[in-house]
Amino acid sequence: MIEVSNLRKEFSLSKQQQKELNTKDSKAIAVNGISFTCQPGRIFSLLGPNGAGKTTTMRMLSTIFKPTSGSIKICGIDVSENPREARKKIGFLTGSTGLYARLTPNELIQYFADLYDIPKNVCAQRKEKLYTLLDMHDFQGKRIGKLSTGMKQKVSICRTMIHDPEVVVFDEPTSGLDVITAENIIKLIRDCKNEGKTVIFSSHIMSEVDLLCDDIAIIHKGNLLYNGTMGDFRQNMEAPNLTAEFIRIVNETKTENA
Amino acid sequence: MIFTIFKKELKDTLRDRRTLIMMLVIPVLIFPIILTLFVSVSESFSKEAAEKTVEIGVVGNPDNYIFEQLELLPENLGKKNITVYADTSELKAAIKVDSAQIGIFPSPDFEQSMQIKKPAGVTVYFNATDIGMKDRAEAYLETIESIAKQERYIEMNINAEQIKPLNVNYSNVASSKEMIGKLAGGFLPYIFIAFGFIGCMYPAIDLFTGEKERGTIETLLTTPVARWQILFGKMGVVVLSGLLASTFALLGLFLSIEVFDIVKNPEILNVVHGVLSPSFILMLFALLFPLTVFFAGLMIPIAVYAKSFKEAQSIITPMNIMVVLPAMVGFFPGIELNVLTACIPIVNIVLSTKELIAGTLDVGLLGLSFAVMISLAVLAVVISYKRFDKETNVVL
Repeated sequence: MIEVSNLRKEFSLSKQQQKELNTKDSKAIAVNGISFTCQPGRIFSLLGPNGAGKTTTMRMLSTIFKPTSGSIKICGIDVSENPREARKKIGFLTGSTGLYARLTPNELIQYFADLYDIPKNVCAQRKEKLYTLLDMHDFQGKRIGKLSTGMKQKVSICRTMIHDPEVVVFDEPTSGLDVITAENIIKLIRDCKNEGKTVIFSSHIMSEVDLLCDDIAIIHKGNLLYNGTMGDFRQNMEAPNLTAEFIRIVNETKTENA
Repeated sequence: MIFTIFKKELKDTLRDRRTLIMMLVIPVLIFPIILTLFVSVSESFSKEAAEKTVEIGVVGNPDNYIFEQLELLPENLGKKNITVYADTSELKAAIKVDSAQIGIFPSPDFEQSMQIKKPAGVTVYFNATDIGMKDRAEAYLETIESIAKQERYIEMNINAEQIKPLNVNYSNVASSKEMIGKLAGGFLPYIFIAFGFIGCMYPAIDLFTGEKERGTIETLLTTPVARWQILFGKMGVVVLSGLLASTFALLGLFLSIEVFDIVKNPEILNVVHGVLSPSFILMLFALLFPLTVFFAGLMIPIAVYAKSFKEAQSIITPMNIMVVLPAMVGFFPGIELNVLTACIPIVNIVLSTKELIAGTLDVGLLGLSFAVMISLAVLAVVISYKRFDKETNVVL
């Protein structure tokens, strides 16, 4: 379970950045006091246009960034107070595979298993299960740099799941991937849900959200514009389809702010 | 956990061809290449000088005293060929076009001055760009003068010993090890320091900026490993790479001397054998270790701050000059290890190593140099940690 309460993140701006952004403010607010809850066995989607604050929120959830204020609880553990314990519960996956090209899948998975302090026999069992599930046996000993994007994505999935996390954070997991490769991710997200894990994924692709999620939150310029179940969202739609509704909500805020 | 990260980063680094070339191949080859070049160039120079027939031009009659004495000079002073020129302008023109290398012009009253036993004037023409010719002329004329002196002593019935009140004997108390150590000892630490720096450079950029650029740092930071452990694991590999580059340079020196047999000079061989002793190597690494940690600590904050490999490289590469320049103090004979120089980083390591080679190292000053480098290394590690802990520096 993920519990987010009044989460806020500010970044200090250097003189150069102030010039580039054409602002005199010394701080930029990336996330502005958002609150939401992600339940186990359900898929929560954080939807927003580019620069909305999705990645910053995901990075705070996965403890890469420290919140300026507010709280995040992962399976009841406060990430600010006990980040290392919280990390043990989290699996983190991004669209950019983020793998070491000079290692083989076997070496990489073992490395992450060691970092999560997984006992050897447990690691071997999980590795075998994941390799079979993802059909990775044939390329387990090849250098990652020589693998195709699809193969790399499978290695990435295996790395994310090797410590059997209770919470899985997907930051724009399919961005830049072709439909066949993206299918692996979609399947993984569904499997996680079926196993009772808490799943949160950020995206700006409405069709993907429609396909997968149970709960939805729309974020724009750091503010939460909508937070509810997918069923409620569909029922209260004013636009003819989901994408149009998403654009309508974002534009409505723009008009209000103007 | 530090060891797990260290092990993985080392494996990753050793699979990078660029790092391997900078850390292993070039350091191993540098000494054999430099020594082969140095030995063959100096051998060919001395061989050429010994075999070269010097064309000497003399203005005046062939029965001139100088002409006669020149012809009588022994062959061991170098081969020569004497030609008579009509006047000095013809002689100078011949030297300019290199048809003569030395020109000798006895003054018009030369014979008369010799007869009345007064100093007889001789002008020697030479081309200063033709290296070694002035020395050759000096050797010829000093020999002729000494013969003329002996002839005058006999004619004047003077005992040469009576007009030589002092018999000075200059005795060098420095061992050849000390001399070579002091004069050429700066070269070794220079090479070790330069390679220590270059050895650290690529791993530092690859393990920090490279990881940021490739997006792998993000996943690493979501693991339950403290940031300081990640930093120490990575820093360990950077330091080891620097030390390995220095070690391979030392191995190159060993191979040049013991396997390829490039150096033949027994005095130099003696010094190098002393350098390759286990106690020297141990002391050298004790000095190089804090220096390499200091290098790593200088590079890591930059590598953490930089957004791309190129940016990191463009900042760190000019730093190489900042390291190489102080390392060059070892080439200057007058600069010695004292309380002041022991407090200057890099300079203290160069001078300590130089004294170590010469066998004249002061333990107190060595301790001071070591303490200075340890303090700087600790400071560099603290700065690296502060930088690495800053979240906006770590991810793009």
